[in-house]
Amino acid sequence: MDQNIYLIGLNHKSAGVNIRERYALTNIDEFENGLLDMGIREVMALSTCNRVEIVVVCSDEFTENEILTYWADKCCGSKTDLEPNTYCYKNLKAVNHLFRVASSLDSMIVGEPQILGQLKKSYRKAVEAGAARVIINRLLHKSFFVAKRVRTETSIASSAVSISYAAVELAKKIFGELKGQKAMLIGAGEMAELAAIHLLKSGVEKIRITNRTFARAEELAETMNGEAVPFENLYDCLSDTDIIISSTGAPHAVIKAKDMKAVIKKRKSKPMFFIDIAVPRDIDPDVNSLDNVYLYDIDDLKDVVEENMSQREDEAVKASSIVESETLSFGNWLNSLDLQPTIVDLFNRSESVARKELAKTLKRLGNIDDETRNAIETMALSIGKKLVHEPVIFLKRRTEEEGAAEKFIDLARRMFNLDNDTIPSDAHCKRKKSKD
Amino acid sequence: MTLFEFFQYLIIALYLMGMIFFIGGTLKNNKIMGKLGNLCAIGGFALHSVDLLLAVTLYKFTIFTDGFFYLSLLGWSFILVYFALWWKVRNTFFALTASPLALLLFISSLATQSLKVQQLPAHLVGLFIGLHIGTIFLSIALMAMAAGAGVAFLYLNNKIKTKANLSSLGKEMPSLNTFDKVNHWTIMVGFPLYTLGLAAGFLWASKTFNKAFSWDPKEVVTIVVWFLFAILFHQRLVAGWRGRKPAILVIIVFLITMISLWGINFFVPTHHSFKV
Repeated sequence: MDQNIYLIGLNHKSAGVNIRERYALTNIDEFENGLLDMGIREVMALSTCNRVEIVVVCSDEFTENEILTYWADKCCGSKTDLEPNTYCYKNLKAVNHLFRVASSLDSMIVGEPQILGQLKKSYRKAVEAGAARVIINRLLHKSFFVAKRVRTETSIASSAVSISYAAVELAKKIFGELKGQKAMLIGAGEMAELAAIHLLKSGVEKIRITNRTFARAEELAETMNGEAVPFENLYDCLSDTDIIISSTGAPHAVIKAKDMKAVIKKRKSKPMFFIDIAVPRDIDPDVNSLDNVYLYDIDDLKDVVEENMSQREDEAVKASSIVESETLSFGNWLNSLDLQPTIVDLFNRSESVARKELAKTLKRLGNIDDETRNAIETMALSIGKKLVHEPVIFLKRRTEEEGAAEKFIDLARRMFNLDNDTIPSDAHCKRKKSKD
Repeated sequence: MTLFEFFQYLIIALYLMGMIFFIGGTLKNNKIMGKLGNLCAIGGFALHSVDLLLAVTLYKFTIFTDGFFYLSLLGWSFILVYFALWWKVRNTFFALTASPLALLLFISSLATQSLKVQQLPAHLVGLFIGLHIGTIFLSIALMAMAAGAGVAFLYLNNKIKTKANLSSLGKEMPSLNTFDKVNHWTIMVGFPLYTLGLAAGFLWASKTFNKAFSWDPKEVVTIVVWFLFAILFHQRLVAGWRGRKPAILVIIVFLITMISLWGINFFVPTHHSFKV
């Protein structure tokens, strides 16, 4: 292969946050153009908070060192600093890595969907800059296809892996659609705020916020487009609230099971979901024993997240085998690229032989009408083409076999003398003699 | 094999395929399998309707003296109610209750073709028995759906309450709220129908046997079921019962009804009895 795919990069596994920050690419267009100016054929760079990946297509003349030096220079750093934190993959290993990145198998949270969007954005930039051509185009399209296949054929992204998402998923399991449900935030912890935002995004109709410091409740209500409620009115509001997220710093329970009975009666047993993120807990654990009331504390939610994480890991094994098979199929395509020049040469050779013989024949025939001349020409050219058709099919099939491409292409080039190597006039005689 | 028999085997095949698709679709959360299940159920139901129509056309009102007709009609009612429920909640989950029961009843109807309903003077059957059977069967089918939703509710409620890991089935199940809504709707429609069916039955009995109530075991059990059903209806409507309690009660009501259908009709002397 005279053109190789290299993937050079760093990620959250290979480098600490300080290195990732330092060697993040701020001006991708300029970076890609610089590499193209150096003579690299194709390039695409991806830079996110967790990774920098540089995919290049180049001849063997280029080395990892040159790219690393260029990268370090662009980030005003040194190659010696950068190199130990990076990895470099060549050809199919690079393809495999990119497929894993696109399928989110290489992410900090396996299955998170953001990386695919970031990759698509980077690819679009590379296309606009003219830095992505035949191989990167095909490679990236294939990456998107692999990512889609992984998502459809495995449940890698089906379960919630953050506390706030787990809370929303549970709420959906209880209420179905969250549209029309009312939620309340007791206290103003950061995680509770995040869960409330997720609930709002999932369609919750109204959010109330209560806090011992009313001003803080008002402040938060403003950012969430909600309603601030005085802490004293907590129980009055509960009967009209379906989802309660609590995260106060109170040392004792804020909501007690015995007080909840009246609330449930007032609600005519409509279900309620309590999410208690506070430590120590805000809600009396006995609340969970009441009919149609569901209580999850921080440890329960953590358990849900951990279970989901382990399920994702199981799914990641399935996803990896999809990535492996798609890498092989991409490898076949790459091999077929190697074959292209040989196919062109074969057809050119057949045409030139046909034209040569055609010229001789036409000269011998003398004056003939145009119709006959055209018919003879068409016949000669099509015989030439048909003669090489079967060898081309044979070569295409053989080069799909792993590791066979180089051998068969070389054989074909020698058989048809496509490289115009001089064959010694006595080559066959020598062999004949040795047989005798 | 006669053409009629082939027709009936086709119904069984369609119901069986439907059931397999529904179970597979639910376990694997595969919507295409759910759609295929629906297609099979529609096909089976259409043929089943033709089968019942042919039986009524051929035998006229004497069909009411044939045991197989009742079992077949009850099976048909299950699928009919499932379709109504599917239209309402757009979820094939409830076919898990309807399709096995419909299949079982249809196969049973074929296996019991020689059975006759005792003490049923053919010349006296008419509008009232049609009303009695039609409404009672529809309400039993509704009751079955409520019971199915009840079982699913209890399973999921237990999983959420105990913070247990939701298996793949639990994850893809409809929400607790959906099960409760189905339970509510089927009880709200089912109880008035059951009451109407019972009233029509007593009216017919008073005209046929000159007494509305004869302490027949089937009648006694039916009254017990009606009382429990009435409590359920009242508590749902007035006291605002939701979730676990109505789920448990409707399962009990449905179980008594099934015991009554298979136990009393086949093994206890009653004027509802199926005998050779």
